[in-house]
Amino acid sequence: MEQYKEPAINRPLREFVNSNYPGMLFESSLSTEEDELEPQEIIRLAELAGIVDERDGEPLYRKLQKAAQQQVRVVVADAIDDEPYVSSQINPMLKCAPQAAGGLRLAMKATGAGKVYFAVYKNITDLVHRIPKTLEGVTVKRIRGRYPAEFRTTDDFAKEAPLALIGVCALIHLYRAVKEHRIQSSCFVTVAGNCVANPMNLEASVGMTVDQLLERCGLADDPGRIIIGGPMTGVACQDPSATVVGPATRAVLAFKEDVKERRYQCIGCGKCVDCCPENLTPFYINKYIERGRMEMLDFYEIDRCIGCGTCSYVCPAKLDVAANIKAAKAARQKNSTGGLPDAG
Amino acid sequence: MQAKELKAPHIRLKDSARSTMLDVLIALLPLYFMATYFYGARALALGGVSLLSAVAADVICVFLSGRRPNPRDFSALVTGLLIPLMLPASVPYYVPVTAAVFAIAVVKHPFGGVGQNIFNPAAGGFAFVSVCWPSLVFSYPQPMFSLPITGELPARLAESPAHALMLGAVPTIDKLDLMLGKFAGPMGVTNILVLATCFLYLLFRRAINWQAPAAFLGMTAAIAYLFPRIPVSRSESVAFELLSGTLVFAGIFLLSDPVTSPKRGLSRFVYGALAGAATMLLRYYGGFEQTAAFALLLVNSFTLLLDHELERLFRIVRRAVLGFRAYRRNQRIIKKV
Repeated sequence: MEQYKEPAINRPLREFVNSNYPGMLFESSLSTEEDELEPQEIIRLAELAGIVDERDGEPLYRKLQKAAQQQVRVVVADAIDDEPYVSSQINPMLKCAPQAAGGLRLAMKATGAGKVYFAVYKNITDLVHRIPKTLEGVTVKRIRGRYPAEFRTTDDFAKEAPLALIGVCALIHLYRAVKEHRIQSSCFVTVAGNCVANPMNLEASVGMTVDQLLERCGLADDPGRIIIGGPMTGVACQDPSATVVGPATRAVLAFKEDVKERRYQCIGCGKCVDCCPENLTPFYINKYIERGRMEMLDFYEIDRCIGCGTCSYVCPAKLDVAANIKAAKAARQKNSTGGLPDAG
Repeated sequence: MQAKELKAPHIRLKDSARSTMLDVLIALLPLYFMATYFYGARALALGGVSLLSAVAADVICVFLSGRRPNPRDFSALVTGLLIPLMLPASVPYYVPVTAAVFAIAVVKHPFGGVGQNIFNPAAGGFAFVSVCWPSLVFSYPQPMFSLPITGELPARLAESPAHALMLGAVPTIDKLDLMLGKFAGPMGVTNILVLATCFLYLLFRRAINWQAPAAFLGMTAAIAYLFPRIPVSRSESVAFELLSGTLVFAGIFLLSDPVTSPKRGLSRFVYGALAGAATMLLRYYGGFEQTAAFALLLVNSFTLLLDHELERLFRIVRRAVLGFRAYRRNQRIIKKV
């Protein structure tokens, strides 16, 4: 999959903030020095700063608590960004490397882990600058393989399990929370797409509207499709002037696209089956959903779908395979009490 | 607000159903070039007639089923161009026309049209005309002798080497001529080098899968090697069986047809091997000299069954992989505690 991360990935990280941004601090008597803090105090600071992990939208303090309970051996800073266009984890990691590494060390202390790593995606081919082997003394590990790479991270570190995966942006915010007692009032967002004149990564205030971000970077054309999140799993934005970015927003993408209806029909090529990372059979799952034979979905193990969207991406008939499967899965989970847990 | 719901993923690969079919059409062009080189303009005329009748039948069938014809659907063109290549260049024009109309109107559209048919239309059309007019379909003109588009055809038609094989005789052809397809045979499928080039092109463009043709050719070669039916060395038997007719062509263009072949890599292997075994069994014990199309129709009916039964295997594999991952994770936690 073409990654299209240039030029945003190598451009400087710009701030785009409200006027009250510098004053967003919280009151705490805790020290700002790393060495003087107890693990519990770091977690307390993460809670006070209200940091949310951009990987999954979970509060950081809860993740740290869970990791400390599980006695993790490694903390991995997730800068994988395996979706095309999106570079809102790897760009802050490179541009704010001291803060990211400092946050990672704080997370290591808070969870009692012995080792830390940065994890980046290996298949980024369109880079101008090389990604360094180590960053501020922390080893940078590369996650290999084709697109859905993020869900495989646990397997890549299986030798050192159990591990905690924490997003890089959350770690940067953790560092600021400890050093400056700053509340998380901003988020790192990639603004890109073939309509955006000036693709770049922004540190935007939480609560900025999608329109404001797009105006900041300039639109070269009228976008037909504005997406919140990555192009593979993101959600189409219906009203960009009323949608705001939040701590878990990783990208705002604007695309101009050909809307001509082509009426392709499934030719049964089986490319969706070949590319499924969970080794499922999207072809038959989609067929049975279309025919309404929901009882067959159990046999084809629809619950193991991780929703990566690769089946739709490769489909030569441009069918909405992934969207159909997602909808059917959601309908099933509403009806039943629970299925198999997701793999990964 | 947008009228259409926009669903993820929002980017798509450029390849489309149209470009896939276009790749097959491009791969067929060199075969038509060879046919014209061997048999003159009549080869092109046969292709054109078959193409037109296939497209006409397709448009009529689409209208009859109450839909609008799709100008981006090239599948009828592919069917129309595939059929004449398996026929002799001397065949009367009504034979490819019948084959193309039968393929579209009987084999393809009653099952629901594009992507829904169970049996390969081109194989069905060819099988139909070879049952109807075996004497026309299985007697071939000599190559390098240009045939006129209309008018009197030379009366001297010959049997193909496949016919000699069926009678248990050793065909008297030079090895090089066998490779280059310079013998009395189907008009466009005998030059193995051109066929191999087309195969590589299709594989490279990912228009077809490699598993089914590989298993098919492997299986037929293995059977020809183990049980030669003519008194020659085993490797010569393989060469004669594979190169004397439509076998390689059927393996590359008909067997790998996306619509009618199974979807799993492993089931494509089994499917190809089954087709190979059926082809050779029909050759050894059947009544016709070109049997790949019949064998293909036979195994087409197993496609859904193969995929469904092998899915059981994959369920077990997935469970084992997931179980292994969980087991490894637990081991680590146990060690740690």
